[in-house]
Amino acid sequence: MAAKTYNIPELDTKLADRRYHLTDANPEFTQKILKTSRTIANMCYQCGTCTGSCPSAPRSSYRIRLFMRRCVLGLEDEALTDPDLWLCTTCYSCTDRCPRDIAPTDVIMAMRNLAFLRDIVPKNFLQTCQLIYNSGHGVPNNDVNRAARTKLGLPADPPTTHSYPEFIKGIQKIIDHYGLKENADRILKGD
Amino acid sequence: MHEYAFFLGCIAPNRYPGCEASAIKTSEKVGIKLLPLKGASCCPAPGAFGSIDLNVWYAMAARNVVLAEEMKKDIALICNGCYKSIYEVNHILKHNDELRDGVNEVLAEIDMQFKGSIDVWHLAELYYDEKICGLKKIRDSVTTPLNGVKIAAHYGCHLMKPQKERHFGDTENPMWFEELIEALGAEPVQYRNKMQCCGAGGGVRGYDIVHALDITNEKMINVREAGADAITEVCPFCQLQFDRGQIEIKEKFGDVYNIPVLHYNELLGLAQGMSPQDLALDLHAIDCTPFLKKVL
Repeated sequence: MAAKTYNIPELDTKLADRRYHLTDANPEFTQKILKTSRTIANMCYQCGTCTGSCPSAPRSSYRIRLFMRRCVLGLEDEALTDPDLWLCTTCYSCTDRCPRDIAPTDVIMAMRNLAFLRDIVPKNFLQTCQLIYNSGHGVPNNDVNRAARTKLGLPADPPTTHSYPEFIKGIQKIIDHYGLKENADRILKGD
Repeated sequence: MHEYAFFLGCIAPNRYPGCEASAIKTSEKVGIKLLPLKGASCCPAPGAFGSIDLNVWYAMAARNVVLAEEMKKDIALICNGCYKSIYEVNHILKHNDELRDGVNEVLAEIDMQFKGSIDVWHLAELYYDEKICGLKKIRDSVTTPLNGVKIAAHYGCHLMKPQKERHFGDTENPMWFEELIEALGAEPVQYRNKMQCCGAGGGVRGYDIVHALDITNEKMINVREAGADAITEVCPFCQLQFDRGQIEIKEKFGDVYNIPVLHYNELLGLAQGMSPQDLALDLHAIDCTPFLKKVL
Protein backbone atom coordinates (compact mmCIF):
# COMPACT_ATOMS: atom_id res chain seq x y z
CA MET A 1 0.00 0.00 0.00
CA ALA A 2 1.34 3.35 -0.98
CA ALA A 3 1.77 5.87 1.77
CA LYS A 4 -0.56 8.85 1.79
CA THR A 5 1.11 11.87 0.27
CA TYR A 6 1.19 15.32 1.83
CA ASN A 7 3.20 16.86 -1.01
CA ILE A 8 6.03 17.52 1.39
CA PRO A 9 8.94 15.45 0.05
CA GLU A 10 10.71 15.13 3.42
CA LEU A 11 7.55 13.97 5.18
CA ASP A 12 6.61 11.64 2.35
CA THR A 13 9.96 9.90 2.59
CA LYS A 14 9.43 9.41 6.30
CA LEU A 15 5.91 8.10 5.87
CA ALA A 16 7.00 5.72 3.15
CA ASP A 17 9.35 4.14 5.67
CA ARG A 18 7.04 1.58 7.26
CA ARG A 19 9.44 0.64 10.06
CA TYR A 20 10.72 3.87 11.48
CA HIS A 21 12.38 7.03 10.32
CA LEU A 22 15.71 5.67 9.22
CA THR A 23 16.88 9.14 8.32
CA ASP A 24 16.77 10.16 12.00
CA ALA A 25 18.22 6.93 13.32
CA ASN A 26 21.79 6.32 14.27
CA PRO A 27 22.36 2.62 15.06
CA GLU A 28 25.73 3.50 16.55
CA PHE A 29 23.93 5.49 19.23
CA THR A 30 22.22 2.30 20.43
CA GLN A 31 25.52 0.45 20.46
CA LYS A 32 27.26 3.21 22.41
CA ILE A 33 24.50 3.17 25.03
CA LEU A 34 24.64 -0.61 25.37
CA LYS A 35 28.37 -0.38 26.01
CA THR A 36 28.32 2.51 28.49
CA SER A 37 25.21 1.45 30.39
CA ARG A 38 26.23 -2.23 30.53
CA THR A 39 22.56 -3.16 30.32
CA ILE A 40 20.49 -4.96 27.65
CA ALA A 41 18.48 -1.90 26.63
CA ASN A 42 17.71 -3.44 23.22
CA MET A 43 15.52 -6.03 24.97
CA CYS A 44 12.95 -3.38 25.95
CA TYR A 45 9.42 -4.31 24.87
CA GLN A 46 7.85 -0.99 25.92
CA CYS A 47 5.58 -2.30 28.67
CA GLY A 48 5.79 1.01 30.55
CA THR A 49 6.46 -0.41 34.02
CA CYS A 50 9.39 2.01 34.20
CA THR A 51 7.30 5.12 33.64
CA GLY A 52 4.68 3.77 36.03
CA SER A 53 7.34 3.45 38.75
CA CYS A 54 8.97 6.80 38.11
CA PRO A 55 8.62 9.57 40.75
CA SER A 56 9.46 12.20 38.12
CA ALA A 57 6.77 11.11 35.62
CA PRO A 58 3.65 12.35 37.48
CA ARG A 59 5.01 15.90 37.70
CA SER A 60 6.66 16.47 34.34
CA SER A 61 6.73 15.39 30.71
CA TYR A 62 9.67 13.09 31.47
CA ARG A 63 8.89 9.55 30.30
CA ILE A 64 11.57 6.95 30.80
CA ARG A 65 9.78 4.56 28.42
CA LEU A 66 10.13 7.15 25.66
CA PHE A 67 13.87 7.35 26.25
CA MET A 68 14.09 3.56 26.12
CA ARG A 69 12.39 3.62 22.72
CA ARG A 70 14.71 6.35 21.51
CA CYS A 71 17.61 4.21 22.61
CA VAL A 72 16.38 1.14 20.71
CA LEU A 73 15.59 3.16 17.56
CA GLY A 74 18.84 5.09 17.74
CA LEU A 75 17.10 8.48 17.85
CA GLU A 76 20.17 10.29 19.04
CA ASP A 77 19.25 13.93 18.51
CA GLU A 78 15.78 13.50 19.89
CA ALA A 79 17.10 11.86 23.05
CA LEU A 80 20.09 14.05 23.79
CA THR A 81 18.48 17.41 23.14
CA ASP A 82 15.41 16.69 25.27
CA PRO A 83 15.73 18.68 28.55
CA ASP A 84 13.70 15.96 30.31
CA LEU A 85 16.82 13.79 30.15
CA TRP A 86 18.03 15.59 33.29
CA LEU A 87 14.89 14.98 35.38
CA CYS A 88 15.78 11.41 36.38
CA THR A 89 16.59 11.27 40.11
CA THR A 90 18.37 7.93 39.52
CA CYS A 91 16.17 6.25 42.15
CA TYR A 92 16.36 2.90 40.31
CA SER A 93 12.68 2.07 40.92
CA CYS A 94 12.29 1.35 37.20
CA THR A 95 15.36 -0.85 37.26
CA ASP A 96 14.05 -2.94 40.15
CA ARG A 97 10.68 -3.44 38.49
CA CYS A 98 11.70 -3.97 34.87
CA PRO A 99 10.31 -7.37 33.77
CA ARG A 100 13.09 -7.68 31.17
CA ASP A 101 15.85 -7.12 33.72
CA ILE A 102 17.03 -3.95 32.02
CA ALA A 103 18.42 -0.99 33.97
CA PRO A 104 16.67 2.03 32.37
CA THR A 105 18.38 4.28 34.94
CA ASP A 106 21.75 3.29 33.54
CA VAL A 107 20.50 4.01 30.02
CA ILE A 108 19.73 7.55 31.18
CA MET A 109 23.20 7.84 32.71
CA ALA A 110 24.77 6.67 29.43
CA MET A 111 22.68 9.18 27.46
CA ARG A 112 23.78 11.97 29.79
CA ASN A 113 27.40 10.97 29.24
CA LEU A 114 26.86 11.13 25.47
CA ALA A 115 25.06 14.48 25.78
CA PHE A 116 28.04 15.89 27.66
CA LEU A 117 30.26 14.95 24.71
CA ARG A 118 28.10 17.33 22.66
CA ASP A 119 28.33 20.08 25.34
CA ILE A 120 24.72 19.47 26.35
CA VAL A 121 24.75 19.54 30.16
CA PRO A 122 23.05 21.67 32.85
CA LYS A 123 25.35 24.08 34.68
CA ASN A 124 24.98 22.57 38.13
CA PHE A 125 26.66 19.34 37.02
CA LEU A 126 29.70 21.26 35.81
CA GLN A 127 29.83 23.38 38.95
CA THR A 128 29.97 20.25 41.10
CA CYS A 129 32.85 19.07 38.96
CA GLN A 130 34.70 22.36 39.48
CA LEU A 131 34.16 22.22 43.25
CA ILE A 132 35.54 18.70 43.45
CA TYR A 133 38.49 19.70 41.29
CA ASN A 134 39.36 22.62 43.55
CA SER A 135 38.66 21.23 47.02
CA GLY A 136 38.06 17.48 46.66
CA HIS A 137 34.51 18.01 47.91
CA GLY A 138 31.29 18.56 45.98
CA VAL A 139 29.93 20.26 49.10
CA PRO A 140 32.92 21.99 50.75
CA ASN A 141 33.21 23.07 54.38
CA ASN A 142 32.31 26.59 55.55
CA ASP A 143 32.92 28.76 58.63
CA VAL A 144 29.55 28.15 60.33
CA ASN A 145 30.16 24.44 60.02
CA ARG A 146 33.77 24.72 61.21
CA ALA A 147 32.58 26.42 64.39
CA ALA A 148 29.94 23.72 64.92
CA ARG A 149 32.48 20.94 64.35
CA THR A 150 34.85 22.45 66.91
CA LYS A 151 32.03 22.60 69.47
CA LEU A 152 31.39 18.90 68.90
CA GLY A 153 35.02 18.10 69.63
CA LEU A 154 35.71 17.30 65.98
CA PRO A 155 38.60 18.88 64.07
CA ALA A 156 37.42 22.08 62.33
CA ASP A 157 38.08 20.40 58.99
CA PRO A 158 37.32 16.69 58.45
CA PRO A 159 40.28 14.32 57.86
CA THR A 160 39.55 14.36 54.13
CA THR A 161 41.23 16.45 51.43
CA HIS A 162 40.20 19.42 53.58
CA SER A 163 42.80 18.46 56.21
CA TYR A 164 45.20 16.87 53.74
CA PRO A 165 45.24 19.20 50.72
CA GLU A 166 48.31 17.41 49.38
CA PHE A 167 45.89 14.76 48.07
CA ILE A 168 44.09 17.26 45.83
CA LYS A 169 46.87 17.12 43.25
CA GLY A 170 46.14 13.43 42.62
CA ILE A 171 42.45 14.16 42.20
CA GLN A 172 43.22 16.89 39.69
CA LYS A 173 45.46 14.51 37.77
CA ILE A 174 42.64 11.99 37.48
CA ILE A 175 40.10 14.61 36.33
CA ASP A 176 42.61 16.17 33.93
CA HIS A 177 43.37 12.76 32.44
CA TYR A 178 39.85 12.83 31.02
CA GLY A 179 39.96 16.56 30.26
CA LEU A 180 36.85 17.01 32.33
CA LYS A 181 37.70 20.27 34.11
CA GLU A 182 38.87 21.84 30.88
CA ASN A 183 35.57 21.00 29.20
CA ALA A 184 33.53 22.14 32.19
CA ASP A 185 35.33 25.51 32.25
CA ARG A 186 34.91 25.93 28.51
CA ILE A 187 31.18 25.10 28.51
CA LEU A 188 30.46 27.33 31.53
CA LYS A 189 32.37 30.22 29.97
CA GLY A 190 30.34 29.93 26.78
CA ASP A 191 27.07 30.32 28.68
CA MET B 1 36.25 -4.50 68.19
CA HIS B 2 35.58 -4.45 64.42
CA GLU B 3 37.67 -1.77 62.76
CA TYR B 4 36.69 0.10 59.60
CA ALA B 5 38.01 2.98 57.55
CA PHE B 6 35.35 5.65 57.97
CA PHE B 7 34.48 7.25 54.65
CA LEU B 8 32.83 10.60 55.40
CA GLY B 9 31.68 11.99 52.08
CA CYS B 10 30.67 15.66 51.88
CA ILE B 11 27.31 16.49 53.42
CA ALA B 12 27.81 14.67 56.73
CA PRO B 13 31.09 16.39 57.71
CA ASN B 14 30.43 19.70 55.96
CA ARG B 15 26.73 20.32 56.64
CA TYR B 16 25.54 17.95 59.39
CA PRO B 17 28.61 17.30 61.56
CA GLY B 18 26.30 15.70 64.14
CA CYS B 19 26.01 12.72 61.78
CA GLU B 20 29.77 12.28 61.83
CA ALA B 21 30.18 12.81 65.58
CA SER B 22 27.32 10.45 66.44
CA ALA B 23 28.52 7.77 64.04
CA ILE B 24 31.92 7.67 65.72
CA LYS B 25 30.53 7.66 69.26
CA THR B 26 27.53 5.37 68.83
CA SER B 27 29.40 2.72 66.87
CA GLU B 28 32.07 2.45 69.55
CA LYS B 29 29.42 1.45 72.09
CA VAL B 30 28.39 -1.52 69.96
CA GLY B 31 31.86 -2.80 69.15
CA ILE B 32 32.64 -0.94 65.92
CA LYS B 33 35.67 1.33 65.67
CA LEU B 34 35.70 3.90 62.87
CA LEU B 35 39.16 5.06 61.81
CA PRO B 36 39.72 8.25 59.80
CA LEU B 37 40.28 7.68 56.09
CA LYS B 38 42.90 10.34 55.48
CA GLY B 39 42.80 12.23 52.20
CA ALA B 40 39.43 10.90 51.05
CA SER B 41 37.45 13.12 48.71
CA CYS B 42 33.86 13.40 47.55
CA CYS B 43 32.72 9.87 46.66
CA PRO B 44 32.16 11.54 43.90
CA ALA B 45 28.44 12.33 43.73
CA PRO B 46 26.99 9.53 41.57
CA GLY B 47 24.29 11.68 39.97
CA ALA B 48 26.09 14.95 39.44
CA PHE B 49 29.48 13.47 38.56
CA GLY B 50 28.50 10.13 37.01
CA SER B 51 26.13 11.90 34.64
CA ILE B 52 29.02 13.77 33.04
CA ASP B 53 31.53 11.00 32.64
CA LEU B 54 31.21 7.55 34.20
CA ASN B 55 34.88 6.78 33.57
CA VAL B 56 36.01 9.63 35.81
CA TRP B 57 33.44 8.53 38.37
CA TYR B 58 34.97 5.03 38.39
CA ALA B 59 38.50 6.38 38.75
CA MET B 60 37.67 8.92 41.47
CA ALA B 61 35.71 6.43 43.55
CA ALA B 62 38.46 3.86 43.06
CA ARG B 63 40.98 6.33 44.50
CA ASN B 64 38.93 6.47 47.71
CA VAL B 65 38.74 2.68 47.83
CA VAL B 66 42.50 2.39 47.33
CA LEU B 67 43.11 4.69 50.33
CA ALA B 68 41.29 2.11 52.46
CA GLU B 69 43.03 -0.78 50.73
CA GLU B 70 46.31 0.79 51.82
CA MET B 71 44.99 0.78 55.42
CA LYS B 72 43.96 -2.87 54.96
CA LYS B 73 40.50 -2.03 56.32
CA ASP B 74 36.99 -2.42 54.96
CA ILE B 75 35.16 0.87 54.43
CA ALA B 76 32.16 1.86 56.54
CA LEU B 77 30.10 4.88 55.52
CA ILE B 78 26.90 6.67 56.50
CA CYS B 79 25.48 8.02 53.23
CA ASN B 80 23.48 6.26 50.52
CA GLY B 81 25.02 8.39 47.79
CA CYS B 82 28.51 7.49 48.94
CA TYR B 83 27.38 3.87 49.11
CA LYS B 84 26.35 3.97 45.48
CA SER B 85 29.74 5.33 44.41
CA ILE B 86 32.09 3.47 46.70
CA TYR B 87 30.28 0.14 47.02
CA GLU B 88 29.25 -0.08 43.41
CA VAL B 89 32.54 0.97 41.86
CA ASN B 90 34.39 -1.41 44.18
CA HIS B 91 32.03 -4.18 43.10
CA ILE B 92 32.18 -3.36 39.38
CA LEU B 93 35.97 -3.09 39.28
CA LYS B 94 36.36 -6.37 41.13
CA HIS B 95 34.38 -8.16 38.44
CA ASN B 96 35.10 -6.23 35.25
CA ASP B 97 38.68 -6.65 34.03
CA GLU B 98 38.36 -4.16 31.19
CA LEU B 99 37.14 -1.34 33.42
CA ARG B 100 39.63 -2.20 36.16
CA ASP B 101 42.55 -2.04 33.73
CA GLY B 102 41.34 1.32 32.47
CA VAL B 103 41.06 2.70 35.99
CA ASN B 104 44.44 1.31 37.03
CA GLU B 105 46.07 2.95 34.04
CA VAL B 106 44.89 6.32 35.37
CA LEU B 107 45.63 5.52 39.01
CA ALA B 108 49.19 4.55 38.02
CA GLU B 109 49.77 8.23 37.23
CA ILE B 110 49.38 8.97 40.95
CA ASP B 111 51.15 5.80 42.12
CA MET B 112 48.02 3.95 43.12
CA GLN B 113 46.55 0.62 42.15
CA PHE B 114 43.12 -0.83 42.66
CA LYS B 115 43.53 -4.37 44.01
CA GLY B 116 40.00 -5.24 45.02
CA SER B 117 41.10 -6.39 48.46
CA ILE B 118 38.41 -4.79 50.64
CA ASP B 119 34.64 -4.62 51.02
CA VAL B 120 32.37 -1.60 51.51
CA TRP B 121 29.57 -1.42 54.07
CA HIS B 122 26.94 1.03 55.17
CA LEU B 123 27.08 1.54 58.94
CA ALA B 124 23.33 0.83 59.13
CA GLU B 125 23.80 -2.63 57.62
CA LEU B 126 26.63 -3.31 60.08
CA TYR B 127 24.29 -2.31 62.92
CA TYR B 128 21.71 -4.78 61.62
CA ASP B 129 24.21 -7.55 60.90
CA GLU B 130 24.17 -10.16 63.71
CA LYS B 131 27.78 -11.11 62.95
CA ILE B 132 29.03 -7.57 63.55
CA CYS B 133 26.54 -5.88 65.86
CA GLY B 134 22.89 -6.91 65.63
CA LEU B 135 19.67 -5.61 67.16
CA LYS B 136 20.40 -7.02 70.61
CA LYS B 137 23.62 -5.04 70.99
CA ILE B 138 21.82 -1.90 69.79
CA ARG B 139 19.03 -2.51 72.30
CA ASP B 140 21.52 -3.10 75.12
CA SER B 141 23.40 0.12 74.33
CA VAL B 142 20.25 2.24 74.79
CA THR B 143 20.15 4.23 78.04
CA THR B 144 17.41 6.73 77.13
CA PRO B 145 14.74 4.78 75.23
CA LEU B 146 12.88 6.96 72.75
CA ASN B 147 9.50 5.88 74.09
CA GLY B 148 6.30 7.49 72.95
CA VAL B 149 7.35 8.84 69.55
CA LYS B 150 6.34 7.70 66.09
CA ILE B 151 9.12 7.67 63.55
CA ALA B 152 8.89 7.31 59.77
CA ALA B 153 11.74 5.40 58.15
CA HIS B 154 13.10 6.69 54.87
CA TYR B 155 15.32 4.03 53.29
CA GLY B 156 16.53 6.15 50.41
CA CYS B 157 17.38 4.73 47.01
CA HIS B 158 21.00 3.92 46.50
CA LEU B 159 21.53 1.72 49.54
CA MET B 160 19.17 -1.03 48.40
CA LYS B 161 18.59 -0.34 44.72
CA PRO B 162 19.28 -1.70 42.14
CA GLN B 163 18.34 -4.86 44.00
CA LYS B 164 20.30 -7.28 41.84
CA GLU B 165 23.54 -5.43 42.48
CA ARG B 166 22.95 -5.32 46.25
CA HIS B 167 22.33 -7.88 48.96
CA PHE B 168 19.37 -6.42 50.87
CA GLY B 169 16.61 -8.46 49.25
CA ASP B 170 13.13 -6.97 48.89
CA THR B 171 13.06 -3.31 47.88
CA GLU B 172 9.26 -2.95 47.72
CA ASN B 173 8.49 -3.23 51.43
CA PRO B 174 11.61 -3.92 53.50
CA MET B 175 11.33 -3.87 57.30
CA TRP B 176 14.89 -3.98 58.64
CA PHE B 177 15.11 -0.22 59.19
CA GLU B 178 11.87 -0.33 61.20
CA GLU B 179 13.44 -3.02 63.39
CA LEU B 180 16.45 -0.76 64.00
CA ILE B 181 14.09 2.05 65.03
CA GLU B 182 12.13 -0.28 67.31
CA ALA B 183 15.40 -1.26 69.01
CA LEU B 184 15.65 2.35 70.26
CA GLY B 185 12.25 2.14 71.95
CA ALA B 186 10.48 4.29 69.36
CA GLU B 187 7.47 3.26 67.34
CA PRO B 188 8.12 2.96 63.59
CA VAL B 189 5.13 3.98 61.45
CA GLN B 190 4.19 2.71 58.03
CA TYR B 191 3.26 5.29 55.44
CA ARG B 192 2.16 5.34 51.84
CA ASN B 193 4.83 4.78 49.20
CA LYS B 194 7.64 4.65 51.76
CA MET B 195 10.25 3.53 49.24
CA GLN B 196 9.79 6.66 47.13
CA CYS B 197 12.83 8.78 46.38
CA CYS B 198 13.42 12.03 48.34
CA GLY B 199 13.71 13.85 45.02
CA ALA B 200 17.21 15.22 45.38
CA GLY B 201 19.27 12.61 43.53
CA GLY B 202 20.63 12.46 40.02
CA GLY B 203 21.54 16.14 40.08
CA VAL B 204 17.83 17.05 39.99
CA ARG B 205 18.05 19.20 43.14
CA GLY B 206 20.57 21.42 41.38
CA TYR B 207 18.91 21.22 37.95
CA ASP B 208 15.26 21.83 38.84
CA ILE B 209 14.71 22.53 42.54
CA VAL B 210 10.93 22.90 42.19
CA HIS B 211 10.67 19.48 40.57
CA ALA B 212 12.81 17.95 43.32
CA LEU B 213 10.77 19.66 46.05
CA ASP B 214 7.52 18.49 44.50
CA ILE B 215 8.68 14.89 44.97
CA THR B 216 9.74 15.70 48.54
CA ASN B 217 6.39 17.33 49.18
CA GLU B 218 4.51 14.17 48.19
CA LYS B 219 6.66 12.24 50.61
CA MET B 220 6.03 14.76 53.39
CA ILE B 221 2.25 14.54 52.88
CA ASN B 222 2.44 10.76 53.31
CA VAL B 223 4.66 11.03 56.38
CA ARG B 224 2.34 13.53 58.03
CA GLU B 225 -0.67 11.37 57.23
CA ALA B 226 0.91 8.56 59.24
CA GLY B 227 1.26 10.87 62.26
CA ALA B 228 5.04 10.65 62.45
CA ASP B 229 6.88 12.85 64.98
CA ALA B 230 10.08 12.62 63.00
CA ILE B 231 11.66 11.18 59.89
CA THR B 232 14.81 9.14 60.10
CA GLU B 233 17.09 8.15 57.23
CA VAL B 234 20.57 6.80 56.62
CA CYS B 235 21.63 9.38 54.03
CA PRO B 236 22.71 12.97 54.80
CA PHE B 237 21.70 14.06 51.28
CA CYS B 238 18.14 12.82 51.85
CA GLN B 239 18.37 14.52 55.26
CA LEU B 240 19.29 17.80 53.60
CA GLN B 241 16.46 17.43 51.10
CA PHE B 242 13.84 16.76 53.81
CA ASP B 243 15.25 19.20 56.37
CA ARG B 244 16.12 22.27 54.32
CA GLY B 245 13.57 21.13 51.76
CA GLN B 246 10.75 21.77 54.22
CA ILE B 247 11.84 25.41 54.45
CA GLU B 248 12.01 25.62 50.66
CA ILE B 249 8.64 23.88 50.29
CA LYS B 250 7.15 26.49 52.62
CA GLU B 251 8.61 29.28 50.47
CA LYS B 252 7.67 27.79 47.11
CA PHE B 253 4.39 25.97 47.78
CA GLY B 254 3.25 27.39 51.14
CA ASP B 255 2.96 23.93 52.75
CA VAL B 256 4.19 23.66 56.35
CA TYR B 257 5.11 20.39 58.05
CA ASN B 258 7.74 21.10 60.74
CA ILE B 259 8.64 17.43 61.02
CA PRO B 260 12.23 17.06 62.29
CA VAL B 261 14.60 14.93 60.23
CA LEU B 262 17.30 12.96 62.00
CA HIS B 263 19.95 10.60 60.71
CA TYR B 264 19.68 7.17 62.32
CA ASN B 265 23.04 7.76 63.99
CA GLU B 266 21.70 10.93 65.60
CA LEU B 267 18.67 9.01 66.93
CA LEU B 268 20.93 6.28 68.22
CA GLY B 269 23.09 8.96 69.84
CA LEU B 270 20.06 10.40 71.64
CA ALA B 271 19.04 6.92 72.77
CA GLN B 272 22.55 6.27 74.06
CA GLY B 273 22.42 9.42 76.16
CA MET B 274 24.16 11.96 73.93
CA SER B 275 22.78 15.48 74.39
CA PRO B 276 21.25 17.50 71.50
CA GLN B 277 24.32 19.75 71.78
CA ASP B 278 26.61 16.75 71.21
CA LEU B 279 24.74 16.19 67.95
CA ALA B 280 24.63 19.82 66.74
CA LEU B 281 20.88 19.47 66.27
CA ASP B 282 20.69 23.27 66.22
CA LEU B 283 22.18 23.12 62.71
CA HIS B 284 19.02 21.41 61.47
CA ALA B 285 16.71 23.74 59.57
CA ILE B 286 13.63 22.21 61.20
CA ASP B 287 13.50 22.76 64.95
CA CYS B 288 13.94 19.44 66.77
CA THR B 289 12.83 20.81 70.18
CA PRO B 290 9.21 19.52 70.16
CA PHE B 291 10.51 16.08 69.28
CA LEU B 292 13.24 16.24 71.92
CA LYS B 293 10.72 17.30 74.59
CA LYS B 294 8.78 14.12 73.89
CA VAL B 295 11.74 11.78 74.23
CA LEU B 296 14.11 13.33 76.76
